[in-house]
Order: sequence, then C-alpha cells, then structure tokens
Amino acid sequence: MWKVTRRGLAANKLRFVLTAVAVVLGVAFVSGTLVLTATIGKTFDDLFTNIYKNTDAVVRAQQRLSSDFGTGERPNVPQSLLDAVRQAPGVAQAEGDVQIAYAQVVGKDGKAVGNPGNGPPTLGFGYHPSSQLSVFHLVEGRGPTSDDEVAIDRNTADAAKLSVGDPVRILTTAAPKTYHLTGIVKFGDANSLVGASATLFTIPRAQELANAPGQYSQISVKAAPGVSQTQLQNNIQKSLASQELGQYQVLTGKQITKENQDALQKQLSFFNVALLIFALISLVVGSVIIYNTFSIVVAQRTREMALLRAIGASQRQVMGQVFGESVVIGLLASAVGVASGVLLAIGLKAAMSAIGFDLPSTGVVVRPVAIIAGLLVGFVVTVLSAVVPARQAARVPPVAALRDVAIERPPRRGVRLAIGGGGMLIGIGLLFFGLFANPGNAIAYVGLGAALVFVGAFVLGPLFARALSLVIAAPLPKIKGMTGTLARQNAARNPKRTATTATALLIGVALVGFITIFAASAKATISSAVDQQLGTDFIVQGPGNFAPGIGLSPKLAEQIAALPEVDASTGLRVGDVGINNSRTTVNSVDPVAGAKLFNLGDVAGSLRSLTPDGIGVSKRKADDHHWKLGDTIPVTFVKTGVQTLKVQFIYSKNTFGDYYISLASYEKNFTDQLDSSVFVNLKPGVSPDQGRQAIESVTKSYPNAKVFDDAQFKADREKQINGFVALVYLLLFLALFIALIGIANTLALSITERTRELGLLRAVGMSRSQVRSAIRWESVIISLLGTINGLAIGLLFGWSVVRALKDQGFNSFAIAPGQLLVVVIILAVASVGAAIFPARRAAKLDVLRAISTE
Amino acid sequence: MTTTVPPTATLAARAVDASKIYGSGETAVRALDEIAVDFGRAQYTAIMGPSGSGKSTLLHCLAGLDRLTGGKVFLGDLDISTLSEKELTKVRRDRIGFVFQTYNLIPTLTALENITLPAALAGRSEEQQWVDQIIDTVRLRDRLSHRPSELSGGQQQRVAVARALASRPEVIFADEPTGNLDSRASGEILDFMRRAVTEFHQTIVMVTHDPKAASYADRVVFLADGRIVDELREPNPDAILDKMRELGD
Repeated sequence: MWKVTRRGLAANKLRFVLTAVAVVLGVAFVSGTLVLTATIGKTFDDLFTNIYKNTDAVVRAQQRLSSDFGTGERPNVPQSLLDAVRQAPGVAQAEGDVQIAYAQVVGKDGKAVGNPGNGPPTLGFGYHPSSQLSVFHLVEGRGPTSDDEVAIDRNTADAAKLSVGDPVRILTTAAPKTYHLTGIVKFGDANSLVGASATLFTIPRAQELANAPGQYSQISVKAAPGVSQTQLQNNIQKSLASQELGQYQVLTGKQITKENQDALQKQLSFFNVALLIFALISLVVGSVIIYNTFSIVVAQRTREMALLRAIGASQRQVMGQVFGESVVIGLLASAVGVASGVLLAIGLKAAMSAIGFDLPSTGVVVRPVAIIAGLLVGFVVTVLSAVVPARQAARVPPVAALRDVAIERPPRRGVRLAIGGGGMLIGIGLLFFGLFANPGNAIAYVGLGAALVFVGAFVLGPLFARALSLVIAAPLPKIKGMTGTLARQNAARNPKRTATTATALLIGVALVGFITIFAASAKATISSAVDQQLGTDFIVQGPGNFAPGIGLSPKLAEQIAALPEVDASTGLRVGDVGINNSRTTVNSVDPVAGAKLFNLGDVAGSLRSLTPDGIGVSKRKADDHHWKLGDTIPVTFVKTGVQTLKVQFIYSKNTFGDYYISLASYEKNFTDQLDSSVFVNLKPGVSPDQGRQAIESVTKSYPNAKVFDDAQFKADREKQINGFVALVYLLLFLALFIALIGIANTLALSITERTRELGLLRAVGMSRSQVRSAIRWESVIISLLGTINGLAIGLLFGWSVVRALKDQGFNSFAIAPGQLLVVVIILAVASVGAAIFPARRAAKLDVLRAISTE
Repeated sequence: MTTTVPPTATLAARAVDASKIYGSGETAVRALDEIAVDFGRAQYTAIMGPSGSGKSTLLHCLAGLDRLTGGKVFLGDLDISTLSEKELTKVRRDRIGFVFQTYNLIPTLTALENITLPAALAGRSEEQQWVDQIIDTVRLRDRLSHRPSELSGGQQQRVAVARALASRPEVIFADEPTGNLDSRASGEILDFMRRAVTEFHQTIVMVTHDPKAASYADRVVFLADGRIVDELREPNPDAILDKMRELGD
C-alpha cells in the first residue's frame, strides 16, 4: 500500500504542493514567533547580565503599585539611605541611580528625536563620573560635569545629527533648555538601550529633572574584593536595621538580574501569546484547506479506491493510503515550515532594527521547543484534517468501482442542521455570556463562543452553499452570458466543496470585519466624545499619547494660560494609582479651568469643587462600588502611599477615564509632572487663527507639542487607531492568503475532475479566454460567499463586543460600510489572482486528449 | 422549413494528402498516410475501418480538433490546417457541429442550454423557429429544462444531435454517436441524422464500426492502415459487412 501512497503523491505534485503550502505558512508563523521571542529574550537576558555585570547588590524601596509584568513601581530613596549603605561593611562603592522617565533630544533639524508615545522610551539618567557601576561607557568626549552639560547615546546622536561640542536642546519636565553635548556613550556593545534614547545629566541636574532633589530611584552597590553578593546583601540589611528596613529591599546582583529577566520574559510571553493566536488562526484556516483537499481527492478517487477494495484491499489499507499521504505532507510541510519560521524570525528581527528597536547583535536563538512545536503542530493538524476523509475513503463499497463515479455524497441535512445550528447557537450564547454577564474569565468564554460560531458555519455551510452561490451569482449570466452561467453553476455544483473553501476565507474575513467595525466604532466614540465632552477650541498634544510619565513640561501650560487670548486652559496629567486593589489610571486637571473646558455630564457635585484631597469618579465606578458624594476612598500612590480621598464629583461621561483629581493633588502625590496635553478655550472675540498664532508662539520652543483643533485632534486619534488596525490586518493577512491558496487548490482539483467537460466545451467552440473567465468568476463567487458570510459573522462579533463595552464609554456602533466594501472588493480581486493558475491550466487543456480522457 | 441549404456542387470538406505521423524514425507510426478524400455538401458519409485504421484521427483532423503532420484539410474553401488555435475555436463554434460517443453534454446546463451552447458561447442566439423545429424533430419538447443526469442515454444523444444541428454548421462530425446506445435508441439517433441530411440538407461525416449505422449513410469510406482502401455508395448492411470482412477480420 505504501507504494500506492507514494505514487498517489507523485502523480499529483501540484495538489501536494498547494496543500503543503497551507501547512508551511501556518507552521512558519508558529516557529517564527517562538524563535523571534526566544531571540529577543536571549538578547535581553544578555543585556541585563551585562547591565548588572558590576552590580553586586541593589537597595531600593518596597513596591507600592504592582505591575502586570512584575517589576512594580516604587518611590525614590533618600540620600541618607545612600550614606547608610556606604557605611555598610564590604561595600567597595555605592552610587545612587537617577532615572528620568522623559528626556527627549531635539535634533539639528529642530524636531524631537524618537516617538516615546508609540515606540521605545526617551530616558534620562544621572551620570557617575568615576563609577564602575555605570551601564554606559563613553566612546567619545567626556561625561557631563556641570548642570548645562549632557552626554547622549550613539544612536540618538546619529539620529539627531549631533556631535560632541554641539549645543543640544533637551525636552523634559522643565522648560526646554539648551545644553552642551560633551560626550557620546554606548550601552555595552550596543549603540542604544534597545532603541531607547538615553540622555546623561549630572546627578544633581538629573535629580532636579526627576522632581526628586536629593533622592535616587535606587542604589547600586559594588562589593569589596572577597565579599560575596549574599554576604554583601546581609551586611547591608544589618546596617539598615535602624533605617526602617521594612521600607527598603536589598537584592543581590543576581536577584536583580533575574528579576529583570523574568519581568521581560513575562512581557515577551504576552507578546508571544498574541502572535501565537494569529498563528493558530492561520493554522485553523490551513487545516480547513487540508481537510477540503483530502475530501475532494477521496471523492475523485472513489473509483480507484473501490477498485482497490474489490481486488482485496481492506478498509484499513485504503484508509491507510489516504492517511499515509497526509503523514508525508504533514512531515515535509512542517519541516519546511520550521525552516521558513527561522528565516521569518531573522527577517522580523531585521525589520525591528529598521524601525528603531536596536537589538544588540545576538545570533538567532532556535530552541528545541520552536522546532518541536512547529513540527508537532503542523503534523497533528495535517493528519487530523485527513482523518474524516480517510474514513470516508475506507467506507467506499467495492461495487462503486462498477458504477460511474459518485462525486460527492449528498449531505445529511438533518444531522448537519442539528450539529451546525446547535454549535452556532451555543457559540453565540457563550459569546454573549462572556461579554455581558461579566464572568470570571470572560476572554475564555468569548474565544470559545467565537470558535463554536466558526464550527457552526463550517458545518452548516454545505447546506446553504448551493442556494447562496446561485443568489450571489444571479446577475452573472446576464453580464457574462454563457461564461457566467457556467461559472455560476460550477460554483453551486459541489456545495460541500464550495462551502468548505469559502469557510477558510470566512474565518479571516470575520476577524477582519470585526476589527474594522470595532475600530470604526472606537473612532465614532472618540469623535462624539470629543464633540460632547471636550468642545475645546484647541488641544496641545504632547508626545506621550496619554501614557503616564511622558509629556509636556508644565511650563508650557503656564505660558499658554498667561496668553491674553486664552480664556481657560489646563494641562491634563495622567498617572497610575491603585484603587480597590487594582491598578488604574487617574486623570488630573485644574478643577476651575476643567469645569469650563469639559462637559463630563455632572451627576453629583462638580469638577470645579475638587480639592487636593478630593476625587471625581464616574457614575459607572460609583455604582459598582456603591460610592456616593462625601464617601472616602483609599487611593494608593507610588510617591505618597495610601491617601484617603473624598468623593466630591460624580459624572456620567467616562470615555476619557473613570477618575479625576486636581492638579494640586497630582503635584503632591506624583513624582513626574508632565502634561499629556493642554486644553485651551479662547476668549470671546478671538478668532481661531489669532488663537492658533498665539498658542504657536508659545509651542514653537516645544518641538514635542502639536497644536490641534477638535477636528485635527480627532484625526490624530484616528491615526492611532488606524495604526493598531493596520497591525492586526497584517497579522490576519496570512490567514486570508492561506484561504486564497485554498480557493486555488479547490479550483485546480475541480478542473482535473472536469477535464472531459472542459474538452467538450472547447470542442464546441468555447475559447481559451472564455474558459479562463469562467474559472475566474467561479473563484470570485466562492470568495464572495466566504466574504459575505464572514462579514455577517464579523458584524455579529463587532456589535456584541461594542455593546459589551458600552458602560466603559464605548457608546457608538459604526459599521464602516465603505471599508467593508473595500474588503469585499479586495478579496474578490485577490480571488481572481488565486484563479490565475488553475484558469491557465484549464485553458491549456489539449482538447483532443481531454475529450478522450476516461 | 424556412430556409434550405441548396445542394451545390462544391464540397463541404476535404483532405488533401493528409498525413499524421506519431513519433519519428524507426518507431514512427503513420496514422494517416497521404489521404485524399472529399465530402460533398448535403451528403451523409460514414467512415469505417478496423481499430487503428486511422478513422478517428481522420475525423479529428477534419474537424480541427487535431493537426496533421502533412497535407491539408479544407472546410469549404477554408484551409483549416493553417489556422491558429483561436481561429480554429471559432470555426468549431460557428461552422462545425459535434456528436461524440459519450459525455456530450455539460452536466450543469439544462437540455435547452446544452442545445444552444455554441450560440451562447458566441454571444448570439439561434433563430427561435429553427431551434423549435429541431427540438420537435428530436422529440425533446418535454425534456428541455432537465439536466443531463435526468435524461436517458438515448435522450442525451438526441440533445447532442440537436446541439450539433442548432448552429446550422457546414459539417457535423459524429464519432461513434451510437456506440453506447441500445439498438432502439441507436435507430432513433440514426434516423434523426438521416432526416437532417435529407430534409435540412445537412452535411454529416460519421465514424462508426457498426455496419447497420453506416447503412444510413449515402456513402461509406473504408480505411485501413491510414489509407482509404475502398468506398461504397448507397450501401446496405450486408455489402458493408462483406467489405469489412475483406479488410481485416
């Protein structure tokens, strides 16, 4: 039987290749993801080992706010702690580290270098002149020695086109200031800290810019010769006993290295899972295609198999033959897939470097798990996809050999309807339950529900494919005449085949549709929220994209407020706090100006009345936690610990956040003072042009500030969303591409089966171009079937998710019909592309041979 | 009948020194060996010969489905051996009709759609009256909306004959049109083809190995080893059978 299997594969190389491609791509995605994350992981592991090479111990404050990724946030430590640590026995050197969350270099062209809102951060550090503990080393010039001197990393210097001796403007929490560039540093071997820019100030200057005079973010310690890290740790702990040890933590160099490595692994595994989900989607689509291919092959070879059975092959042997083919395809394709995955990872790493994530030159790390997982997934998916067709093959009765080929068994309608309909209903039920009933692991319910909806569509497909294809293609005979009639009938003739092929596309399209609708709804929500809740004349947008710790110097807001054209203005600062044991974001504005500028839908109290010990909460949160005006809430701040704030304001429009505090409170409770943006209303009688001129006269010395009116602000927000959507499209592209290969595959197989018919058509006068056209249109019909049904499911997903987010301020549902139509058109055109190869094969058929084919 | 094609002295099709050689050198096989044969208009010609005599090859070459390796074939005055694939397709669609032994119909099209298929491919429609006349002649009126799978073998061949007639081709080439039918259905098909020649002045060239089928023709041409070895006019089954015996068996 092995011989028959081998011959079967050899005889149908094209089919073999097309089927294999579907597996190869999915496996490449899986392996590529694992290799890439392992490579990045290794890079960072090395990086941290390098960073803490000379650090034997670290002393820092206990964490006040935990982060999802383990590192946590801690208050600064005082000079007195550094002094105490230096006194501890076994300490050769101890230095206070100062880190500034935001320090952006302005290039020679006057533009701020880097994009901290969406890319690697732009950090500042204190520079120790004679420290073995520093992670930077000078490659040019010298370190800063006075408060108006800085050194910057090689990468940033190159990007900013700056060299030693140049003046350099740095944007920080202080007003923009020009420094002298005294040196260029490298970070280990790398030109930058993985793309982050670094500006080195003198320690006092750095402390000032970190809003922490006399304080350090942590203390790094180098042990005296002969003192082990653990001894050093013990010594420091003992000597700190008087210093309220409970407040501080002493870690060995090994521990801090490990902590950083673990935190990064955790972040990477999140990234990993996200990518693997897309890989999985591609694999599911691939397996639908493999299943379809084997089903068609089995149908086509019914006679051959019946003959084998008639001459004495057992059911097992026939099944084994189909199974054997799948094993060969699975193994070969997975192997090729793993190899392609490694190449993919190399390519992606290069691409990441190209967009600014400067990874130190570590070779690609291929762990056994990447190979094994790729091989296993590809192999299992292929073989499982072939199980059902193989069983069908085995059931072929020997007498079938004597009859004409029975192409496809009619679908068992009742069973299909029950299983498919049931699956779909349960799926929708789980989806809604996950979204609306707020169960513990909502994502699991939603994911399972979505998967069941797809299974339902897969099972139900063959029941409706014929009717739907005929309806979709109804205008075709009128447009394309006989060619159109043939295309329409051909698409409808094997409902199961057409449906399965379309389902592969449906999955990708449903997800594309969902994302498109979700993004359109998000844009509409923001747009209406800007109109209803902000209604300000101008918004000066900072670089941080509303992330805490990045933004504009508060000096800018002060200068704007002082403009004679301005009626009311306030900076908006965003910070992380802990409320009710969970980390959340709090907005901060000037209460008086804010009350003039924003319309938050006051329910009780007012924004204006917020005092430094007060807090405004959204109605949603107030309802959830049964807070009412005058209640007190414990809020955890990194800098000041737990503070009890009084509910002074409850509001209903929470699109931009659930909590507000006053700027006075923010200044007291947060270290970094940076405005995400500044909101401005003009005095009556000041024209928008005059207003803009006035504001721009201030912002011209802030290259990190952009002046937007409402429409421009909306456009900017939409751009952010579009960037995210483009990324998801890119990841789903593979699933769509595989589905299109599936269409090509199905068409190619169908054409083999219709050789005689094509020969006859050609004999009675169908031209080659007509043959090609008919196959192209058949491809378009299959594609439209998948696309239209996919969009229907995408619409369901989109609608339910948007509805579920309603109380988080997501109050617009937009379908984006234009964009969805573009999706339909693109896929219809792409399906024409998918048909090129099969159509050419069909047109090239030798007429005489075709009509004499058995 | 509204228009009749008058029998003329000109020829519907002919082969001049037609050769078809497969392979080369020692192993070359001469399927057609410099054949010269004429087919008169409004004439019903049967081509007979033992297996491997080249009769199907001759038919295929005459019909523009296959190409000669030497000599020429004409359809009317048109030398089709020089035509491009595109031109040949058009000739087949507009000037030639086909009836094959099996698989004559497109399974996804109805009987009527199959009948008018060549015209539809050309983007024109046949004259309704003519189509009606053919449909009535082959007695398919009540089967027009059926698909091939819902028709008997005989009915399927009748649809095929109707399709061949519908475009009023210069020549209908039939390759064993009754090869798969029982004698009653065969008789019907042969009868229709005979009537097409007599009543509509259709030219038919038919390959067959069945003396009874050949006896419906005006003339029988006998092939052996790629050459024309004999012919009969106004044949009867017994005379044909005698010739066949002489030839090979």
